[in-house]
Amino acid sequence: MTFIMLAACAVHLPLLLMKLPLKSYDTNFHIFFASHYVHHWFDPWNTKWYAGFSQATYPPLPQQWVALISHITGLDMAYMAVQFAAILLLVVGVYRFSLLWVSPRAASYAALASVFLGSESFLVYSAGQLGTTSAAPIYLNALPYLFDWVRHGSWRSFLKGSVLFVAAAAAHHATLLFGSFFFALPVLALVLIDRNEGEPTSTPSFIARTVSIAVVVGAGIALVLLPFWIALIHYPVTQTPIPHPSRANYILSPEWGLNYFIIPYGALVLAIPFIIWRGAISVRLRPLLLGFWVAMLVGLGGTTPVGHLVLGRAYEVLTMERFSYWATLLALPFVGLLASELIDRFRMRAVIGLSVAATLTCGLSVAWVVYHPADASNFQVDSVAAWLNRDGHDNYRYVTLGFGNKIARLAVLTDAGSVDGEWNSGRMLPELTEHGAGALTSSKYFGKQGTDALTAILGHADKYGLKWVFLKDPYYEPLLSFAGWRHVDDLEDNTIAVWMKDGVPPATPLNAAQMPPHWQGLMWGILPFGSSLLALLIVLIPDKRWQENPTDQDAITHDDIASGRLVS
Amino acid sequence: MNKGKLLAILIAGATVALIVIGTLWPNAAALALAGGGNLLQSSSTPEAAVTNLAQDIGRRDWGKAYSSLANKAEFTQPEFQQDLTGNRLSLRTYATLENFDLRPLHSSANEAEVQLRLHWSTVVGTFPETRDLHVVKNGDRWQVQWPIVKETRVPPQVIPVNYLRWDVIYRGAGDDWGAQDVEAPHVRIVDMHPVERADGVVIMGELLNEDIVPAHVSVKATLLAKNGSVIASEGSFDKIAHLLLPKQVTPFLITFHNVSLSDVSSVRMDPSASLVSASADPVIAIQDQQFNPAPGASLTGQLVNQSGQVVNIAHVLGTFYDKSGQLVWVADQYIDRALQPQTPVPFRITVPEDLARKVSSERAFTTTYSAGSMQ
Repeated sequence: MTFIMLAACAVHLPLLLMKLPLKSYDTNFHIFFASHYVHHWFDPWNTKWYAGFSQATYPPLPQQWVALISHITGLDMAYMAVQFAAILLLVVGVYRFSLLWVSPRAASYAALASVFLGSESFLVYSAGQLGTTSAAPIYLNALPYLFDWVRHGSWRSFLKGSVLFVAAAAAHHATLLFGSFFFALPVLALVLIDRNEGEPTSTPSFIARTVSIAVVVGAGIALVLLPFWIALIHYPVTQTPIPHPSRANYILSPEWGLNYFIIPYGALVLAIPFIIWRGAISVRLRPLLLGFWVAMLVGLGGTTPVGHLVLGRAYEVLTMERFSYWATLLALPFVGLLASELIDRFRMRAVIGLSVAATLTCGLSVAWVVYHPADASNFQVDSVAAWLNRDGHDNYRYVTLGFGNKIARLAVLTDAGSVDGEWNSGRMLPELTEHGAGALTSSKYFGKQGTDALTAILGHADKYGLKWVFLKDPYYEPLLSFAGWRHVDDLEDNTIAVWMKDGVPPATPLNAAQMPPHWQGLMWGILPFGSSLLALLIVLIPDKRWQENPTDQDAITHDDIASGRLVS
Repeated sequence: MNKGKLLAILIAGATVALIVIGTLWPNAAALALAGGGNLLQSSSTPEAAVTNLAQDIGRRDWGKAYSSLANKAEFTQPEFQQDLTGNRLSLRTYATLENFDLRPLHSSANEAEVQLRLHWSTVVGTFPETRDLHVVKNGDRWQVQWPIVKETRVPPQVIPVNYLRWDVIYRGAGDDWGAQDVEAPHVRIVDMHPVERADGVVIMGELLNEDIVPAHVSVKATLLAKNGSVIASEGSFDKIAHLLLPKQVTPFLITFHNVSLSDVSSVRMDPSASLVSASADPVIAIQDQQFNPAPGASLTGQLVNQSGQVVNIAHVLGTFYDKSGQLVWVADQYIDRALQPQTPVPFRITVPEDLARKVSSERAFTTTYSAGSMQ
C-alpha cells in the first residue's frame, strides 16, 4: 500500500502543485463556493451570483475544507490539497472495496490502477468535479463496513460505516443517492451470496441489519444536510432543462464520445469483454458486474435509452460523466483480477503492457485539458475585478459576456455581485429559470434560449441594479448597442470592453424567500464539516481484521481458482 | 451452456442492442446535440433530401451540404456558404439554425417543389428565411437544386461624405471643485398610448429630442394600480432608437406581459437622456416605402446605405398612424444582411391584422450598428 500511495504522489502531486485543475471546467466554481465559506462560514446566502442564491443547494464538505485550509495556503493551494487528499483516499478506498470481491493481490493491483484511472484524471483535471471525486472515495471506504455489519453484525463496522456514509453525502449527495444502487446493492447481494459460507447470516438478520443501517444513515444524512433538503423540497429544480453534451449519442456525436467515453475509460475499454465474461461466470462477481454494467450504460448518455429510462426527469438535470466515473470504479476489482492473471501468465511482458496502458490512459486524460480546454481563450480577470472594486462600481451588479468559466474566478476576486453564475440548480431569477440556457456569459451557445435569457435579464437591468456589462466576445455587441447600453471603457489591452446603462439605481439586496434562516446557517456550518471530523475520529478506532476471517477468504480464493481455470 | 456464459452473452447482446436502439432512434437531447441527424437518414424522397440539406446547414457542415446539391456546378462552395451567411459581417454570420420546417408544394416521379423555412437565431432575436427548392431525382436518390442568391458586389469608387458630428468634452477627474459638467439634453415624450393586446399591455409613443445636441435616450414605464401600488415596470429595450440627433423623434414600445389594462389606473413615464458624442453618418435612405394592407399587412421598402462604409446590422422601426394622426402601432425588423454602400436591401415590417385597418400613414426610422464603431 505504501508503494501505491507513493505512486499516487508521484503521478498527481506534481500536477496539483502546478495547479493544473485550475484550467478545468468547475474548479473555480468550487473555489468560489469555498471563498464564500472563508468569510461567511455560518451564512450560506451568497450575494455574488444570481443577485443572491443559497449555497445550501450544494453539499459543502470539500469546499468547507478548502475554506479552512485556505487560511494557511490560500484558496488555490487549499483546493489542490483537498483534491490530493481525495486522490489518496481513493487508493485506500479502491483497495478496501476490491478486497470484498477479489484477493488482496488483485485488490492491490486495482488500487494501483486507480492512480492511473482515466476517469479520475478526467474529473480532476478537465471537469474539476471536487464533490464527486471526494465523495466517491469516502463512499468506497464505507462499503466494506457495510458488508461487515450486514454479514457479521459488527457494531464497530456499523458505527464506522454510518459516519462515513454521512460524510460522503455531505461531500456530494448524488454520489450517495446513486451509489446506493450501483455500489451498495452489489455489496448487499454479495452478503446474500456469502451468507451460508462459514458463519451463516440468517435472512431476518440480513434484513434487520440492512434496514437498521439504512435508517440510521438516512436519518444522519437528513439531519446533516437538512438545509439542503429544505431548499430542495421548497424549491425543486423545475427550470427548463439545459442541454449538456454528456447526454449526446456518442456514435452520432463522436467528438463527445471521445470526451466522455474514450478519455475517461482509456485502456479500460479493452478490459470490458473480460469484465463481462468473468463477472458473468463467477457467481460472487455477478452483483459487481451488474452494478458496473448499469452505471456504464447510464454513463453512455444518449447512446442508449437506459439513462433516460433509469433516471427519468433527473436525466435532464444530471450530467453523465459521473456515471462513467462510478462505472470505472466498479470495474477496478476486475482490472485488478485481470492484471493479476496476466502477470501470472506473461510475467514481465504483462507488466510492461499494463504499465504502458496505464500510463497512456492517465497521460491522455491529464493532457486532455490541453487538447480540449474548458476555456480556449486564456485571459486574466484581475483587471476586471480591480475595475469593479474601485470608485464605487461595486455598488451595482454586473454581467460578463464571453468569459466562459472565468466568471467564478472573477467572482472570487471582486466585491461586486452578478446576476449570472455557474450553479444552475441554485438560481432562482425567473429570467434565467424560464429558459433552457446555462450561464449568461455563454448564452450564445444555447441558441434562442440563451438569447432570450440574456435579453430578459438585460431588459430588467433597473430591477437588479445591473449597470455593467464586461464584453469579451463581440458577438453580443449589437444587442448591447440596440438595447441602449454604452461602451465606456476598455480593459486588458482593449480585449475586454466595459458597457454601462444609464439611470440604473444601485443594487439592493433581494428579499428572497430562498434565503436560509440563521438556524439553518448554523447547521450548515457545523454539521457537514462536523460529520467529517467525527468520521475521522471514529475511523481511527482500530479495526477487527475481518478480512482474515477464513470463511470470507475462502470465498475469494474460490474465485481465484475459477479465474485460473479460465485463463489457463 | 451454463448460466454464467448465458449471462455474459445476454449482457453483451443487450449492450449492443441498446446502443443500436439509442443510435437508430436517439432521444430528443441526443438528436439535438447531433445537429438533428441520425443514421436512418437517406434521400429516398424529396422531403428527406431537403431535410438532410437543412440538417447539414444547421450543423454548418457546408462541405456536405454543398456536395449534396444537384446544381453545385453553377456556383462554388464559398458562394453557397455566403448565400447563407452573408459575405460581410451581418446577423447571418453568427446565426444558428434554431429549427426548420418544410412544405411540399408539388411533386412528380422525377421532380418536386418543396418550400423550406429556416428559422435562424441571432443575438437580437430570430428571423425566418423561406426558400422554394426544386428537387430532382438522380438515380435512386433525390437532390436539391439550390436557388443561389449572389450578393451584389460594390464597384471600386470614391464616395464623398459630408455629415454632422458632435464631440463632447466631459468634466475631468482633475477639474476644480465646482466646475460645471455638460448639461443633459432635453427630451420630451410627445405621444403615448396604452393598448391591451393578447399577451398583455403595450405602451407605445414617441420621444422628441428638442435640444440642439445629440442624446442617448431610454424610456421606462411603470404601471400603477388604483391604490397607487406598482404593478410592473419595464423599459423600451430595443424597441426605440437610443441615439437621437437634434430634433429627431423616435417611436418606442414597451410590453408588459400578463398584465390586464383594466387593472391599471395610471402609467408613469420616465424618459432619460444623456449627452453623447455622435455623428449623422451613416445616412440610411429609405426608398419605395409602401404600406401593404391586410391580409398580410406590412410596411415594405428598401434601405440604401448612402455612406462609404458597410453597415453590418440595420434596425428599422415603423410607426403607424390613423387618419387623425394618432399613433396606432409601433413595429420593427432587424435586417439580416449587411448594408453595402449604395446597395438597396429590402425590409418588411409586419403589422397585426386588426390594427392594419386603422393605418392611414406610416413612418420608418432606421438605426444602425457597424462593427468597430464602438471603439
